[in-house]
Amino acid sequence: MAVMSRLVAKKACILLGECVPSLIPGTSKIRVKRLKLNENLLMYYKHDDFYHVQDPNKVCKSGDIVLIEELSEKVTTSVSHKLVNVIYPLGDITDPITKRKVVGDKYRDVLENIDKQFGESESRFVYEKAKSRGWQEDKRDFTHQDSYIKYHESEEDQPYAV
Amino acid sequence: MPFMKGNAPIRRTLKYLEAGKLVFKEGVKIFSINYNTSGPHHKGARDFVFWYVPQIQYKNPEVQVITFKNMTPSPFIRCFLDSGKELLVDIDSRSKEEVHSHIRRVLCKTDEQLAQEAVAMEKKDNPANFGKGYARSCICEIPGQVPCPGVVPLPNHMRGKFKHADNS
Repeated sequence: MAVMSRLVAKKACILLGECVPSLIPGTSKIRVKRLKLNENLLMYYKHDDFYHVQDPNKVCKSGDIVLIEELSEKVTTSVSHKLVNVIYPLGDITDPITKRKVVGDKYRDVLENIDKQFGESESRFVYEKAKSRGWQEDKRDFTHQDSYIKYHESEEDQPYAV
Repeated sequence: MPFMKGNAPIRRTLKYLEAGKLVFKEGVKIFSINYNTSGPHHKGARDFVFWYVPQIQYKNPEVQVITFKNMTPSPFIRCFLDSGKELLVDIDSRSKEEVHSHIRRVLCKTDEQLAQEAVAMEKKDNPANFGKGYARSCICEIPGQVPCPGVVPLPNHMRGKFKHADNS
């Protein structure tokens, strides 16, 4: 039988990837990072694959780590996978070992305890009362659409131009 | 070692990659490690990634091996199996050898299975085989066989148009 290619992991049924802005409506674009072997150096380097994934309810947002599954048949020419679930939503990660909410390398309840000891300021961010992600879209959150380089200055506001 | 540059370049040798002992079972599809770049209780996880991840990916090219850094306070390994199940391994304050032996016991094929598969592989690699995926795609390429009629015309006694011709 043909020699198994050792360059890139191929034909996986489930994949873990990060959500990035998608132009096709009803889908999310997922960036799957895999390791690709450089045959000359014999070193593994990160390699990105982009998949358009069936997501009619737009469950995942840019930056979320999600689990996707290969469909038995391609829905359209670009959509070949479907979203299974969101593993690590951005900004709201739950540590699977302790089941506590975390921020970076700290537990949220520990940080709240420290805040209480020092005295809570009124302007601090309260996670329980915060609205779910998405209310600042088009106002201060511009991650849900692709950005582009600004070619010319026009009178209209271009929030997605870099 | 000429051209063996970098930190611990032995990791870049074929001998080292082939010597990997972690060959996952059939159902394992994704192998993810979460660890932090600082902190003594993450040192074992960092060392595990540094030394063993190239070996793991080499021995399991179908598995997605990914690392997540600085996401949670404690390090862990999270495997996704194709049955929909997940496997969580807490590797807080564990050395890389402990993590390696644990993963080997829980997730990997046993030595007997690997030996059986090696024997089966040898049987499949018959050098006389030809066809799609092999070195020789057609029987006409094998020395001693009839050469390709596209290159050299067949002798008349092997051609249908001569055998069944009306000699009129």
